[in-house]
Amino acid sequence: MGKDECKTMLDALNKVTACYRHLVIALGSTSDSQNLREELKKTRKKAQELAVANRTKLTALLKDKSISKDDRAEYERLWVLFTSSMDLLEVDMKRSLEIGQDFPLKVPTRHLIQTGMTGSTTTVAARAMSVQNMKYEADANIDTVDLKELETEIAQVDQMMEEMEMKVQVAPWAVEAKQEAGAELKSTVSVGNSSVGVISICEEEPKETVEGESGMMKVLAGIIFTAVLLIAGILGYLVINL
Amino acid sequence: MTIRNVRDHGQRYRPRMACLKKVETVVLEMQDPKTGVKSQTQRLVITTIPHAITGEDIVAWIANRLKIDASEAQAMGTMMVAFGYIYPLQDHKRLIIKPDTSLYRFQTPYFWPAQQWPVEDTDYAIYLAKRNIRKKGMLELYEQEEYNNLYKWMNHKWDFIVMQAKEQYRAGKERKKPDRVVFDCQERAYWVVHRPPPGTVSAMDHGLDRMVDPNLEEKKTPDYYRRIIMFTQQCIMRPRVKSSVSIGALVKYTATYKEHDPFLNSCLPSNPWLTDDITYWNLNMPNVETPTKMRVERWTFSFGELLADPRGRDDFRLFLKKEFSGENLAFWEGCEDLKWGAAETMKEKAQQIYKTFLARGAPRWINIDGKTMDITVKGLAHPHRYVLDAAQTHIYMLMKKDSYGRYLKSPVFKETQKKAAAPDAHRFSETQLEQNSKRRRPSLSPITLKQQEEEQKAKLAASGPVDITQVMSKLEKKQRK
Repeated sequence: MGKDECKTMLDALNKVTACYRHLVIALGSTSDSQNLREELKKTRKKAQELAVANRTKLTALLKDKSISKDDRAEYERLWVLFTSSMDLLEVDMKRSLEIGQDFPLKVPTRHLIQTGMTGSTTTVAARAMSVQNMKYEADANIDTVDLKELETEIAQVDQMMEEMEMKVQVAPWAVEAKQEAGAELKSTVSVGNSSVGVISICEEEPKETVEGESGMMKVLAGIIFTAVLLIAGILGYLVINL
Repeated sequence: MTIRNVRDHGQRYRPRMACLKKVETVVLEMQDPKTGVKSQTQRLVITTIPHAITGEDIVAWIANRLKIDASEAQAMGTMMVAFGYIYPLQDHKRLIIKPDTSLYRFQTPYFWPAQQWPVEDTDYAIYLAKRNIRKKGMLELYEQEEYNNLYKWMNHKWDFIVMQAKEQYRAGKERKKPDRVVFDCQERAYWVVHRPPPGTVSAMDHGLDRMVDPNLEEKKTPDYYRRIIMFTQQCIMRPRVKSSVSIGALVKYTATYKEHDPFLNSCLPSNPWLTDDITYWNLNMPNVETPTKMRVERWTFSFGELLADPRGRDDFRLFLKKEFSGENLAFWEGCEDLKWGAAETMKEKAQQIYKTFLARGAPRWINIDGKTMDITVKGLAHPHRYVLDAAQTHIYMLMKKDSYGRYLKSPVFKETQKKAAAPDAHRFSETQLEQNSKRRRPSLSPITLKQQEEEQKAKLAASGPVDITQVMSKLEKKQRK
């Protein structure tokens, strides 16, 4: 069905947008590198392909006048999802252009901001491209060459968004959300080591309560230990007496 | 989605903060491995994260580099933290720099405050949703309120926000643990700067939004040059005053109003913007019974001040009533009403004022000289907003030269001065200030205030005779009987 195809494609676009944002946040910091610029380029190209595919599909569906009102409402909701994704993507692309220009890699004295992030972003990019391992094959001057391409791509995206707005008559404010407030807490179906990750992040949060929490754990352990000792003592006493 | 093809004249651009680019260059210099700030590693329970800097190192580096003393360097450091270029690792809600061993870290360029990237509510909603997942529904009170607000008015995008929040959360987990911690800290610091918790001051507070994008370079068209030429011609034509005269006037003004300025002096009992306590505003309402001493003192500065303050005008009206010369003030108020009132009732108002004050044998006849009377009567044939201007100025000068001096020496004024309230300064503790900020409520609506004003005016109109002409005419009527 057209709707399911649309939904899977929108999910994919959503995933790529989220990963692209993570990558752009790492630009200009100490985890910036040749690889990061290449990852950005690849993710961007994938996002563009998905965007074009989504757009053709959705415009075809919305232009069809013979669909029911419920269907139309559903397609409008998907359209709002699509345009919001594209908004985020466009802003991230423009920002990556700016930051990329401000922090060139191939200069003799490069001052990358010491943000504390030192790891690589390979896994994020692999998630965006839906591959197991990323392959890097770009030349040394990717940062300058890529920026020119990026400018043209941004212009393309801009034009696409304007066209979309003119051609498709959808009132975005009229769409009602299906999810209610707090819906993100509900579905815990997620890929990867989600539950383990949650606990470890909670532990690692660098607040004052970390010390308090580990202290609490120690006190709790102590109490359990003394309780076990007491029970053992009582049992031994009973055994001796009987 | 943002509507792109919009051609209105809405104001949507944040005014320029020129200091941001300058702070960025300083931050870049701090990164130099040889001449920059020394960095250490932060030790958490299991992981260690590099690139932490201490407050004292930052302050020392700034003082050294910019050749300023320690207190100014500390102020500059606080500014950098308040803008969000550096964020504190402990006590993350207080955006100040502590010149001791407390740790800070640099913010990634994506999260720097930039002129051309407005802070989007969509991003904030995604951040709150992510935080909701992380904290399993236990958001802080102000965050929960914002979340509910955003859910209400961004409802059409809510599916997108939930989807994006989940995806960003999962994508974030792909990174290694230290990077994940750093990313969380960065994002949290960004939103503390741009959506400050209640009771804190934000450095990103700015005035009204501008209509023109300050980042756009204006194209040098002939129209642009025409505007520049007009502007410079008008500058040349402006009347010039000797600087000794203008500076003398400025000095006199500052000397008179120095004590009354809430920036230069403390305002009693306390400044509501700082302590969230509205006693000051309650004591200075337009129709309060006992004004404050400062307010009464301001009435003695000039006649304009007395008339501008509604309570002062009331007092003056009372004095004039005792002297049976209230028609001047009533005429002046009528002229103000005509000048500032609605256009549809203008003609009737002008006619009413003429009948009441200016016509021969009018009930409240005012005493203006023949020439002004001629001009006014001629103008009233074709009334407009400023037709009574000449008469109004004449009456104003009359009141200023004559009645004002007598008012300041009168028992009415002395009575008001004696009864004026002088409140003590408040002294709030930290907890009381927090409580005050939680108890903030909106003030009386302007509609209610306007209604109160109208009621007062009606009461005044219904009160007894206040002018000598009215008294004389009453006496005459009595005599005739």
